[in-house]
Amino acid sequence: MSGLTLRLKAPATERINLSEITPAKLAALSSHAMARLNVGFDKGGLALGDAFDISGNAGDTLTIEGSGASLDFAGSGLDSGTIRIVGNAGAYAGRKMSGGKLEIRGNAGNFLASRATGGMIHVSGNAGDNLGGVIAGDRFGMQGGIAVIDGNVGDRAGEKMRRGTVIVRGKTGEGAGTRMIGGTIWAEGGIGPLPGLMMRRGTLIGPSVDRLLPTFVDCGKHDLVIVRVLSRYLKNVLGDLAPKPMPLFIQKIAGDMATIGRGEILLPAN
Amino acid sequence: MFGFSPDALVPQVKNRIGQCVLTSPGSACYSGLKAPLSIGLGKAPRFFGDGFQTAKKLGDSRYWRVPVMDGEFVVEEETGVTTDAVGGGNMLIVGKDRTGLLETAEAAVDAIAKVDDVITPFPGGIVRSGSKVGAKYAGMFASTNDAFCPTLRGTVKSELGPDSLAVLEIVIDGLTSKAVADAMRAGLKTVTDIGAKRGVTRITAGNYGGKLGQHHYHLKDLI
Repeated sequence: MSGLTLRLKAPATERINLSEITPAKLAALSSHAMARLNVGFDKGGLALGDAFDISGNAGDTLTIEGSGASLDFAGSGLDSGTIRIVGNAGAYAGRKMSGGKLEIRGNAGNFLASRATGGMIHVSGNAGDNLGGVIAGDRFGMQGGIAVIDGNVGDRAGEKMRRGTVIVRGKTGEGAGTRMIGGTIWAEGGIGPLPGLMMRRGTLIGPSVDRLLPTFVDCGKHDLVIVRVLSRYLKNVLGDLAPKPMPLFIQKIAGDMATIGRGEILLPAN
Repeated sequence: MFGFSPDALVPQVKNRIGQCVLTSPGSACYSGLKAPLSIGLGKAPRFFGDGFQTAKKLGDSRYWRVPVMDGEFVVEEETGVTTDAVGGGNMLIVGKDRTGLLETAEAAVDAIAKVDDVITPFPGGIVRSGSKVGAKYAGMFASTNDAFCPTLRGTVKSELGPDSLAVLEIVIDGLTSKAVADAMRAGLKTVTDIGAKRGVTRITAGNYGGKLGQHHYHLKDLI
């Protein structure tokens, strides 16, 4: 596997903007042009070559080493290839990602995978608030792809999420699935309090939920085929990263009945 | 499922899913073929959900969940279609015991079901109304295979011996000629293994004078 490595020269003293820094884009540039790329937030700001030591040959993989929480927009706009971040990532990682793979070997900041339409994100640590959510001006949050977070995630994961799948090995914070329109959030460690506020459609799956909104209603115990279809799909796509299948019978809780109430929270049936 | 054209399949699929699959207890319906050309599978039947239906998109596939009285009917939105498949592989199983003949044919269909990339498109995989090409009536492309109709023995040029009571046909369609041949081989083996004890007296195939289709399967080569 060929690829470039970017090693942060020194701990960042300002926010670094890695938006559109993708393997394909770097592969199309000369080393001189690559080093001149602006990774600051101002016009004529920090150059890539000033912030990072660049080594290796451009290919389908980009590794970013020495990373910290000040590196924003890592993997933003990624459509093919792999970006591997060794260390923490800042906010907006994987934003508008449409393909390829983003590996974060550390924690991710807020708004991970916001407006992502495809691809695969794997975070070995925790993720911040608004995972797969919206920022001001966005109509929808995550619209496709898969994000796997080995740790916990912050509040309002999947806000206005429309499609795609989020797997959380740990627990979600408050308000997961707020204003959700579709897609799936599967939290193996449990669903935090008050999930699904104004949720229209979509699925939240977990072993438990901390506290339900009063506008969610119990639909009883069911053996839903779609849960098995989902498990099989995730096993095919994720292999060992896939969540453990749910038991045959699950309790379906529908909501938010304050809207159209087509959303659901699925828990193991007692 | 077999059709004479992708366009002809569209209403067939819609009707069969709406009237047969949706209505069957415990059923779900998935695309069996990924291909560049696709037609609706659950696109129309989903409306049976009357607004309570929801969708789940997983990868490139969208699954519709239609609430029904035994739970949910899950149906994939689209299925692939191909015009490169091979249709009409067949075998005719002749017997002197109606029950044993049906049991043998059912066992053969079960064996064929284990072969990849083939279908036995008729209900239960077994056909009692085998056909010949053409008919005396204008507009009929196929008509009853009189040479294998036991009640016509003596009145037509029959293919049946005096002890033949009934004939059942297994029709096989496949994505490749090899898949059809493999399926016929599996079916033949089953029939030869268990048929004699159940009153099967003969196995043959319709070759329609070699006039139908570009693929010919000779049973003697498949044994």
